[in-house]
Amino acid sequence: MNKHIGFDAIVVGAGLAGSAAALVMAREGLNVALVERGQKPGSKNYFGGAIYTHAIAEVLPDFMERKPKFERPVTEAGFWFLAEDGLTKMVTQGGKLNAEPADAYTALRADFDLWWAAQAQAAGALLIPKTTVVDFIRAAGGAVVGVMTDRPEGEIYAPVVIISEGVNNLLTQKLGLIDHDLEPAHQALAFKQVISLPAKEINARFGLPDANHGVAASVLGDVSLGLPGMGFIYTNKKTISVGLGVMLDTLAEYQLRPYEVLQRYLEHPAIAPLVAGGQLLEYGGHLIPEGGWHDMPQLYTDGAMVVGDAATMVNALHWEGTNMAIISGKLAAETALEAHQQSDFSVRTLAGYEARLKEGFILKDMKQYRRFSRFLETHPEFMGTYPAFLNDALGGFFSAYGKPKRQLFTEIYQSLTGRRSLFQAAGDMLSMGRAVLGW
Amino acid sequence: MFHALVAIKQVPDTTNIRIDPETGNLVREGVPAIMNPYDAHALAEAVKWKRKLGGKVTVVSMGPPSFITTIREAIELGADRGILLSDRKFAGADTLATSYVLAAAIEVIHKEEPISLLFFGKQAIDGDTAQVGPGVAVRLELPILTYATKIRAVDLENGFVTVERHTEHWVEVVETPMPTMLTCEKEIAEIPFAPLPDLIRSLRYDPEIWTMSAGPLEFDKQQVGVLGSPTIVFKMGTPPLPEPGEKFNTREVGVEKAVKLALDKAAAAGVLQAVLGGAQ
Amino acid sequence: MTTRRFWVFIEQVEGNVHPVSWELLGVARDLASQVAAEAEEKGDAVVVEAVLLGDKVEAIAQEALGYGADRVYLIDDPVVAYYRNCPYYKGIAAVAEKYAPEVFLIGATILGRDLAGAVATALHTGLTADCTGLEMGEVRGVKHKLLLATRPAFGGNIMATIVCRQHTPQMSSVRPRVFPMPEYDPAAEGEIIREPLGVTEAGALTCILEFLHHQEKSVDIEYADVIVAGGRGLETPENFQLIQQLADVLGGVVGASRPCIDAGWIDSAQQVGQSGKTVRPKLYIAAGISGALQHKVGMQNSDFIIAINSDPQAPIFEVADVGIVGDLFQVIPAMIAQIEAYQQEAAT
Ligand SMILES: Cc1cc2nc3c(=O)[nH]c(=O)nc-3n(C[C@H](O)[C@H](O)[C@H](O)COP(=O)(O)OP(=O)(O)OC[C@H]3O[C@@H](n4cnc5c(N)ncnc54)[C@H](O)[C@@H]3O)c2cc1C
Ligand SMILES: Cc1cc2nc3c(=O)[nH]c(=O)nc-3n(C[C@H](O)[C@H](O)[C@H](O)COP(=O)(O)OP(=O)(O)OC[C@H]3O[C@@H](n4cnc5c(N)ncnc54)[C@H](O)[C@@H]3O)c2cc1C
Ligand SMILES: Nc1ncnc2c1ncn2[C@@H]1O[C@H](COP(=O)(O)O)[C@@H](O)[C@H]1O
Repeated sequence: MNKHIGFDAIVVGAGLAGSAAALVMAREGLNVALVERGQKPGSKNYFGGAIYTHAIAEVLPDFMERKPKFERPVTEAGFWFLAEDGLTKMVTQGGKLNAEPADAYTALRADFDLWWAAQAQAAGALLIPKTTVVDFIRAAGGAVVGVMTDRPEGEIYAPVVIISEGVNNLLTQKLGLIDHDLEPAHQALAFKQVISLPAKEINARFGLPDANHGVAASVLGDVSLGLPGMGFIYTNKKTISVGLGVMLDTLAEYQLRPYEVLQRYLEHPAIAPLVAGGQLLEYGGHLIPEGGWHDMPQLYTDGAMVVGDAATMVNALHWEGTNMAIISGKLAAETALEAHQQSDFSVRTLAGYEARLKEGFILKDMKQYRRFSRFLETHPEFMGTYPAFLNDALGGFFSAYGKPKRQLFTEIYQSLTGRRSLFQAAGDMLSMGRAVLGW
Repeated sequence: MFHALVAIKQVPDTTNIRIDPETGNLVREGVPAIMNPYDAHALAEAVKWKRKLGGKVTVVSMGPPSFITTIREAIELGADRGILLSDRKFAGADTLATSYVLAAAIEVIHKEEPISLLFFGKQAIDGDTAQVGPGVAVRLELPILTYATKIRAVDLENGFVTVERHTEHWVEVVETPMPTMLTCEKEIAEIPFAPLPDLIRSLRYDPEIWTMSAGPLEFDKQQVGVLGSPTIVFKMGTPPLPEPGEKFNTREVGVEKAVKLALDKAAAAGVLQAVLGGAQ
Repeated sequence: MTTRRFWVFIEQVEGNVHPVSWELLGVARDLASQVAAEAEEKGDAVVVEAVLLGDKVEAIAQEALGYGADRVYLIDDPVVAYYRNCPYYKGIAAVAEKYAPEVFLIGATILGRDLAGAVATALHTGLTADCTGLEMGEVRGVKHKLLLATRPAFGGNIMATIVCRQHTPQMSSVRPRVFPMPEYDPAAEGEIIREPLGVTEAGALTCILEFLHHQEKSVDIEYADVIVAGGRGLETPENFQLIQQLADVLGGVVGASRPCIDAGWIDSAQQVGQSGKTVRPKLYIAAGISGALQHKVGMQNSDFIIAINSDPQAPIFEVADVGIVGDLFQVIPAMIAQIEAYQQEAAT
């Protein structure tokens, strides 16, 4: 007879959302099991990327004293527009970006997630690694009262389960919280390389004074062959993270191989010198749920709540996901604490989770950006035409040529209208605005 | 009672190792540390017999405090007790000094609870020496069966074990009195997926830590670490490359021609004649 | 005057000597010559000696002289008719204590590695495992040359050279096929000295109940003259037939890189490299093998290497005497045809 393994709460997945939830509950004295399928937290997780400190501070005000595993503060951020053979940057430096602690830090998930989970462990949560949750244990009425893992004698009981399983939300589906598979058109496949270079070399190539400065850039245009997608490049201490995301359906339609698209991006004349001579440390891919608002599952049921990527809480344009994950984890944890106080784990109490979300920025942002991924699909010119035009236009503007300026401007103007009629261009801007501002 | 002792070592996962192209040094950063795979299989076999006969499995390891994770992993796989032999003075040990520390500790463990079988890995994948097992066996004057692939029978009553071990020529079926040491091949046992209760116990388990003097024995400082190691690493480097030979590209000269040019080279070096002579 | 003794263990099973023993007599002779000058200066003698155990194996002792031993210590005793760790190591340790060799080389075979660790511990000395390079060299602070033993470490990613400064014998186990076979001189003369084993059957501790012979004899690539090796570039196990055909026309055997073994395409006995076998054929053909370090260390001592790879940058070309950049599925059939034509020509 095996003993019944019981906890006050179970968190499925030690990613950003899961460890945040576990930390908040454990700190208040709950006995928390944090179940992670990877060898260690972070070992299976990928992102760009940068992590936003406002979210961490909300969970852990003294985080800077706990030596977070950040790489570099983001002191330069912006868009890079790639044409076939040129690059135009729109970046901002200094100002707000010089704050201490910075608003965002670049990070490598294998290190950061480990540190983040360690904070939850320090608060008393029990991290159970190398264990995959495969199903739920349900009470007679259907309420979730525990999970089943892939291990022998692998049942764990708890009155409340927080599902922070990430984008591959099999469990969320299993609970019937989302009634459809995520469509390929609503998911981007992101793939990236981590390339190692000496810190000095990185500073020189990116024009950074030292390793306490870093770049985060979203790269548009030729990066994705003009197809719906977006690239990124982040400087870490001694590595560069570079990659891109392309919508799944596009990959399938054009029969693109992720590795080749990335390789082409890395060989771009403006990118190649940044990574030249570096050693490839990692190559990996990960899905990003971009369906956003439309794909959002029901967020709770009796005995369970869904947080983070599993609830499609991602803002694709801003590469924001970690902050939403952390905050949603925290809010779900607070709801679980309340449920323990009331000894009621039914939807009556757990509905408080959605109410808390509505007060914050997550649901508001998600609603505002609800048209964004559809917008990208229907407006490929933002990936091809406009970046190319920008490069032509600025390249023209800043060249002497020895011809009258009026002729030059006419040429620039024609290089746009040759690609897209003025009328179309105006329409594009309008729908871009709608997509971003949520009109 | 059946009491198995398993010696386990933590090693860098050599499938993930990189060399710094500039310095030619090993990059240890970010290389995952794992339980030496042969030791994991040996442990799995020890646990299998414990489950069959009842009894106990003790694991012992010499290394820095980071080895605690590997001892926990052993508990997860079914070990009952874990002992880490850890002291700054143990550092820099070669196989002779390692075998001294392990043998001294095992002797003490054996006095507390007599050991029936000692399980070692065939070799550790970081050094691939396969010397520590035989070294410990000699020091403890135990019979040793290296390259063990199967335990046929454990006869606790009469104190005998029957083991299959492979050699270059055949598989030997060998009988020895217990205690006996086995150094194990991977095929000795599959590594099981541990039940959840064992995993949870391991996460909360703190191994005993024996240092030079804090523990049930005092080690001889002349025999541990650098002092106790007759060998030293004189130099390290990446292997030098010979001058590469000529290349013929089929795209440039065509398949037939490229093959012909290559075979001509082999003929000019006298190789073709030599081997074809042998073929007839 | 002292005598500097370079020892080699002669490994025999049922009267068959493992060729690595002869290779080691060759290298021991070479090492001995590297200290000849400094020995002469001091008036020391330098000798190469062999240690042989077995039951009625005097003929082998004679053979050892032919491969270059000046003297053979022979322990002829029924207890050591078959190899067992305990009687072997005890017998050898006793002889070594008596004669105090300076260097002691043992083949890094399964038997040799079982033995070497035990002997070194019994003699309380250092042992460098699985060496791929040996030389006698100066070491700061030591008056005479020491054995510099080089071996792969960390999965073959790095080569480490190890010395044993103060203890003797300086012991190494050495991979078969790293060193060439010495010439055999049937007229060579030398001494055979019989030594007692000093261990009775009761002291042998273990008892071999039976021998189970391997079902099928696996391909012996270690001592083949021609090896045609295939790698992941073959894509499917069936394509090893193509490799086999080329091996057949050359009278050779088939080898493989590790992924082919891991994928179960071919028997593990055919793996070449760091965790497989070291080979030294007259001709090595690598097809669809990228040439990772771990593969190269196992085959770079081959007399002549032909590499076939579609990637002109493949590292295998770095060790090849000649390379063919191209698709192996085109190149190998062409090669088979041309070799057959060549053979016919030679026959007429
Ligand atoms: C290429 C890329 C770039 C990005 N860049 C940024 C960026 O720069 N900034 C930003 O803020 N966001 C970025 N994001 C988004 C961000 O990474 C995610 O939104 C965030 O990681 C979501 O956190 P999470 O905890 O919900 O999920 P995850 O971090 O995916 O964690 C889920 C965890 O659950 C575990 N798990 C899953 N199923 C099970 C199971 N059944 N049992 C046990 N464990 C399980 C997983 O192993 C994993 O550890 C990026 C995403 C990608 C792919
Ligand atoms: C501790 C350790 C020990 C190891 N030990 C060994 C060992 O003993 N032996 C060993 O081999 N490896 C060993 N390895 C693995 C080694 O690192 C390499 O992974 C392995 O050798 C690669 O095998 P490969 O060349 O067949 O495959 P790949 O590296 O995948 O190379 C395949 C090659 O085939 C070429 N190719 C593909 N198609 C064609 C075609 N149609 N025509 C021509 N060429 C084609 C490709 O260009 C490529 O170069 C070890 C690794 C570790 C970490
Ligand atoms: N530091 C150590 N602690 C415990 N066991 C060890 C240690 N080093 C080696 N061993 C054991 O000895 C075996 C052979 O190791 P090696 O001789 O280093 O190849 C390993 O498989 C382990 O079982």
